[in-house]
Amino acid sequence: MIVGDLLEQVLHGLTLGSMYAMVAAGLALMLGVARLINFAHGEFFMLGAYAFWYGYRQLELPYAAAALLAPAVMVLFGVAYQRTVIRAILPRSWHVQLIATLATSIVLTNLAIIVLGTQPKEVPTRLSSTILDVGGFRIAWQRLLVLGASLVIFWALHRFVTRTRTGRAMRAMSQNREACAVVGVDVQRVAMVTFALSAALAAIAAALVSPLFNIFPDMGTVMTLKAFAAVVAGGFGYVNGAIAASFLIGVTEALAGSYVSYAYKDAIAFLVMIAVLLWRPEGIFGRRIGI
Amino acid sequence: MRRAAWLALGAACFAAPWLVAAVVPGQQRYVLHVLIFTALFAALALSYDLVVGHVGSLSLAHPAFFGTGAYTAAILSTGAGWPFVADVAAAVAAAAVVAAVVGVPLFRLTEHAFAVGTLGLGLVAWIVANNWVEVTRGPLCITGIPKPRLGLPGGPALAVTTLPAHYWLALAALVAVVLLYRGLTTFRLGRAFHAVRDNEPLAGAAGIDPLKYRMLAFTIAAGLAGGVGALYVHYLSVMCPEEMTIALTVNLLVIVFLGGAGSLRGVLLGAVLFTALPEVLRLAPTWRLVIYGGLLLVVVVRSPGGLEGLLRRAPGAAR
Repeated sequence: MIVGDLLEQVLHGLTLGSMYAMVAAGLALMLGVARLINFAHGEFFMLGAYAFWYGYRQLELPYAAAALLAPAVMVLFGVAYQRTVIRAILPRSWHVQLIATLATSIVLTNLAIIVLGTQPKEVPTRLSSTILDVGGFRIAWQRLLVLGASLVIFWALHRFVTRTRTGRAMRAMSQNREACAVVGVDVQRVAMVTFALSAALAAIAAALVSPLFNIFPDMGTVMTLKAFAAVVAGGFGYVNGAIAASFLIGVTEALAGSYVSYAYKDAIAFLVMIAVLLWRPEGIFGRRIGI
Repeated sequence: MRRAAWLALGAACFAAPWLVAAVVPGQQRYVLHVLIFTALFAALALSYDLVVGHVGSLSLAHPAFFGTGAYTAAILSTGAGWPFVADVAAAVAAAAVVAAVVGVPLFRLTEHAFAVGTLGLGLVAWIVANNWVEVTRGPLCITGIPKPRLGLPGGPALAVTTLPAHYWLALAALVAVVLLYRGLTTFRLGRAFHAVRDNEPLAGAAGIDPLKYRMLAFTIAAGLAGGVGALYVHYLSVMCPEEMTIALTVNLLVIVFLGGAGSLRGVLLGAVLFTALPEVLRLAPTWRLVIYGGLLLVVVVRSPGGLEGLLRRAPGAAR
């Protein structure tokens, strides 16, 4: 059963990885298009999870409807965030941007504690409580849904960025913002779409994984750190690199958690990430121009 | 004039226990407790500002060094029975050594990546403090840390037991940190720090090795943070992992950026406002963080120089 157990842990890691990847992809998009590190990105994930919880448990919507409600709410939140905080800090130095977004994250986390309490919320669904059992190899259906849905989302994201007019404008902006403005790209609108898209990705990730894990107010901090580690390791704003690095983090964490020490799994994931950065300070995939 | 003002301030700080006793006799203990926290937080914030304000590296790992010092002192004084002076020295050394060891890889990262690497380190330190139960006792905390005894083993010793004595000890530590801070940031060394902060390629071209000066500031700051951590646990007589979470980083960022990064007067002012105000307003901890976060956001966006920047711009300013 050693092989089966290993396979189970790898699959577990891939689910974690797809969760990190959806959050990290949004972070990489923001970094690529707006040249901005959003330290409050984990809080997008946290708020998305609470929006899903509200829809599913309080409004008693069906799973699919609640899972769509979360990104819908977070798109509005992402746009509002871009209009207020981001516009004020965009022309400033990276120090100011980092501290301002970190401050936003602290405010959001503690507001969530005040409004929603520190008691973790559990949102089990039918899919998360039924287990697929193939010859002793067991996996929750919800995990399969996470994996499948994330693959569809990454494919759609890739199509959007490479094929649509707005997506191409985003890539162009990530290469040269001034030139975009010169040839008539609506820079503000593209930035707004980027933030809306990033917030939606984080919320979709939250709606997909919330049935598997608990929801609590400071879950965003660790999420920001892991997503950011993926973005840095993936090559600073290169979206596909960030996605690949996220899966690496997820699998490392799952294997470390089951074979080394569960308590130290986050620490091990970070040490691996720092080791990767020492080996390649420009990220695993090198620094590329553009998203 | 400036010298006279500083002397008056120093005298007032030294005489604070008597002043407090004269002004608010009923609440003397409470006010002194707040003043001790203010002095310790000011010293910690000054050490943090050496890295953030003077060499311009946004490190988020300061709680890790504070915690290293605090745990070193706590473990040595309770388990091994080390005398106060020796365990504080060991705390300074331990934190500085940790910083020197992790600084070598961390300073290969730049800007955002450095910030994330240091934040990750801070998180790892907290996880270790929580889970390495055999050494740190984890969430059960290390308790019964003895009160400081100044003096050499065998010789005459001065026990610090009363609140005014704790206050003078904290004040002495703050004065020592202030003098060191002035010494490090004003002379040739300070100009090298600022050159590295303001224009790294130019500093490098002028023969100032940026890495060397960054490492120097980072290591000294960590050692000071470790020393403050040691004094902190000797005062509270208990050390828990919660003392070294990201909330401490936020507090330090608020003090430094509210007061004015890179300015002695600004950081001291920030520390006083930060520790005294919430006590006066009696805020709940969660609301405190919401307000600090909001304040930090507004200050860095609207007035990046902090209070110091406002003071300098004010009409009739001292300089």
